[in-house]
Amino acid sequence: MKKLAEVLRDWEAVIGLEVHTELTTLETKMFCNCRLSHDDEPNTNVCPVCLGMPGALPVPNKKAIESIVMAGLATNCEIQRHSMFYRKHYFYPDMAKNFQTTQGPVAFCMHGHLDLEVSGAGAAERPDGTGVEKAGDGSYVAPVRILRIHMEEDAAKMVHVGGEEGRITAATESLIDYNRCGTPLIELVTEPDLRTPEEARLFMEKLRETFLTLGISDCSLESGSMRCDGNVSLRRRGETRLGTKTEMKNINSFKSLHDALEYEICRQAEVLEEGGIVYQETRHWEPSRRRTVVMRVKETADDYRLFPDPDLAPFDLTDEFIEHCRERIPELPDAKRERYMADYGLKKKDAAQLAGDPKVAAFFEEALSGVGEKVVGTLANVMVNLVPSFPGLTVEQVRGISGLLAEDAVTFAQAREVLEAVSQSSEDPVAYVDAHGMRQSTDEGALGAIVDEVLGRCTDQVQQYRDGNKKVLGFLVGQCMKAAKGSGNPKAFNKMLAERLGA
Amino acid sequence: MCAANLDQLSASQIAAGVAAGDFTAVEVARAALDAVEQRDGEVQAFLQVSADLAIAAAEATDAARAAGRPLGPLAGVPVAFKDNMNLVGTRTTCASRMLEGYESPYTATCVQRLLDAGATPVGKTNMDEFAFGSSTESSAFHPTYNPWDTTRVPGGSSGGSAAAVAAGEVTVALGSDTGGSIRQPASLCGVVGMKPTYGAVSRYGVVAFGSSLDQVGPFGRRVEDVALAMNALVAAGRDPYDSTSQDCPVDFLEHLEDPVEGRTVGVVPQLLEAEGLSREERTAIQQATVALEAQGARVVEVELPNIASAIAAYYVIAPCEAFSNLARFDGVRYGYQEPGCSTLAEQTSLSRAHGFGEEAKRRQMLGAYLLSSGVYDKYYYPAQQVRTLITADYVRAYEKCDVILLPATPRTAFRFGEISDPTEMYASDMFTISNNIAGNGGISVPMGVGAESGLPVSVQLQGPAFKDRSLLTFARAIERSCSAEGVVAPAFAGKGGELQ
Repeated sequence: MKKLAEVLRDWEAVIGLEVHTELTTLETKMFCNCRLSHDDEPNTNVCPVCLGMPGALPVPNKKAIESIVMAGLATNCEIQRHSMFYRKHYFYPDMAKNFQTTQGPVAFCMHGHLDLEVSGAGAAERPDGTGVEKAGDGSYVAPVRILRIHMEEDAAKMVHVGGEEGRITAATESLIDYNRCGTPLIELVTEPDLRTPEEARLFMEKLRETFLTLGISDCSLESGSMRCDGNVSLRRRGETRLGTKTEMKNINSFKSLHDALEYEICRQAEVLEEGGIVYQETRHWEPSRRRTVVMRVKETADDYRLFPDPDLAPFDLTDEFIEHCRERIPELPDAKRERYMADYGLKKKDAAQLAGDPKVAAFFEEALSGVGEKVVGTLANVMVNLVPSFPGLTVEQVRGISGLLAEDAVTFAQAREVLEAVSQSSEDPVAYVDAHGMRQSTDEGALGAIVDEVLGRCTDQVQQYRDGNKKVLGFLVGQCMKAAKGSGNPKAFNKMLAERLGA
Repeated sequence: MCAANLDQLSASQIAAGVAAGDFTAVEVARAALDAVEQRDGEVQAFLQVSADLAIAAAEATDAARAAGRPLGPLAGVPVAFKDNMNLVGTRTTCASRMLEGYESPYTATCVQRLLDAGATPVGKTNMDEFAFGSSTESSAFHPTYNPWDTTRVPGGSSGGSAAAVAAGEVTVALGSDTGGSIRQPASLCGVVGMKPTYGAVSRYGVVAFGSSLDQVGPFGRRVEDVALAMNALVAAGRDPYDSTSQDCPVDFLEHLEDPVEGRTVGVVPQLLEAEGLSREERTAIQQATVALEAQGARVVEVELPNIASAIAAYYVIAPCEAFSNLARFDGVRYGYQEPGCSTLAEQTSLSRAHGFGEEAKRRQMLGAYLLSSGVYDKYYYPAQQVRTLITADYVRAYEKCDVILLPATPRTAFRFGEISDPTEMYASDMFTISNNIAGNGGISVPMGVGAESGLPVSVQLQGPAFKDRSLLTFARAIERSCSAEGVVAPAFAGKGGELQ
């Protein structure tokens, strides 16, 4: 198969995403009071309502409606004042009523958009001159329209025992865990505005950061609380008609989303270039074999017999309710990133990394409180480069290590060593450094004596340096460090050696 | 109080007697069980008699009295529940093989509220399968016989509840009314049957047929008994488990005896000309009109221009909702499961093919067709438009009157097997269905027996949404002058059920 870059020169990939997000931070299910928890003993968080027992009726979870309205506002959707639930029918035991309660033509949130900032290597996936303006560094902004976000309930989890590939057809036993049945789920559908696998990946990432910041879900792709189906079709550059699309399932990481789309784009291009036909079908991504395989071919559209759910009165959302939801929206990642750049002088990439995860951002801001201006940059650096490796750190520890780094009392490598040692306790990094004699001196007098001693005995190297071999400075720094038994700061030695040898 | 037959006492007399210690709730329960024992062999109103539950509830009532705790307004009153209502400790079969032996793990709100008011649960009553029918003939288990003439049907779908009350086996029974399933059997059995406004009574725990149409209501031999039961059903306010239920802060007894003088009754001339309306039922309307006028009410003519489309709209909306509501019966988790199946698809389709009766299958297939793509727009959507028009018709009519007087059913009770064409059976509800479409309340009031047939005839009153109290006031006015209140079907009166 051709490589993606080659394919996308001739072909335009038209990509749309459907993203399901479970509102895991709620306490109860969508239409009953059962606890939201999938990890408990199977079929323990169930009641007549989510089991679809005869006579049971749904009562909507108002907090879930708040969550979806917040999601809609955060993605620039129009919040629909009037909408309702529908029933979508299909016979399968994962939905106890044999219909799923979902929404019809009018969802709570319609017609939103998010702007993607595509930069770095991934930006190169999109050939120049294909509808976006690229900056000097190749980065560009891709606007992505959101068709809708609607509310629905999740199905139960089924496990098929025996047979092949864990499918029901040949299974000897099928087990159902209704704990998940009725979990509030929001489904976001994009317009087919994405053009590269990288854009799709970035969209998902941005959506995840947004929903995490809203606090409406734990957004775990691994556990399935956030799930994504990608569909893609190809058309020749310049063509306006859409080609036949395929849909990708089983995508449980950002990388999978990217790689599945990349594979599928290249596969479709090969089929089309050989004069073949792309069939409208659902394909399964196999990460281990890095390919998609056919799950099922859709010959006819499923008839779900959608009609308004007569057990649930239509929703009339008031302006007050929508305002209440708007007020609950915290600072979103984009705004936070801009603020970090403006207030703390962070680089865009670093600022984005800190702003993207609300827990990290909150930790960062807490750690910042009370630290001097000179430490801010170092602290951000620590947050970006050290903290992710040591999940147990406290804000005090981060503050402590940042202070030490800022005053050159430890090297970056030492800082890593210190954090390794203190991250499992609440030990103060400063106390640890002092107790272990790790603090490096920057005192010119004490270090100067060592420098002079080293220069005095390493005459060969001094001569080499003077002859133009500047690399030898590293050796001299090493000698100084050795003489100082590790208590001298290498940066200080470097500077002093250069001064004495240079000029 | 001297010896009496339980079937002669009103609900409030029973509750007062229990409270005063004239008799115990257990004595009442035993009398009721005795009446059922003596009478139900011929009537077959019950699918299940819950003797143990009845005695236990009665003992609890007596214990409460002994402990000096206040008793509920239905203390000791024997009640029966249609078999689509869940009651823990009983089976809820909906008269279907599909749910044969099924026991619900929870109790319906409407049932619980009567029990909370002190009622004694005597048993579960027969019905058309899943409430699909107007004669109780589609019960998968057995027919129920009209206590006034056991060669005839009791009506339906709540035929068992109507017959149990008419035969004096219980004082009050609950039914559910989707297109007339309380008012039509009440009419055929000569008892009072009320369908309250949609939303007044919780549907939680009542096996759904048509969710936007279903409403639970009481049967009694007196308007007062129905009012007492209504109080028990609504007094605790809206049910948080039914999002379509509403607060109905009304005391139905308080204004029961209010005069109707100066109030207005609407009649719809076009309905009285309806083809198929029997002379006896038409005469009953005239008698009721005269009686109300004699009490000072004003009678005006009103129009319901779109009412002729009600049955058509109903037989689109109701089957669609039924198809959807009955989809859960698939043999996977409970109910009938076809043995020996090797695949899920086979198990689902054969369990449904063999678990459901003919009418249940007919309605679900109709609904599945009507909701399918390409068909939906042609039927479901126009049916909803008709629904809007009919609702608007009623709103306009009630600008001119407090209640509308109309027949409850086109004719008196028919014989078993007499109506075999489903659409002819559907016409039994021609006077009741429009009220379900509009979501308003209605009540069937006995007018004694017809001069020709010797069978119960009745009239129906309909009222605006959440004006159900007016219905009871007018019904009481008619009862006062037209029907001998508290009548038990003669063949069964006093048969067992002596209260010492």
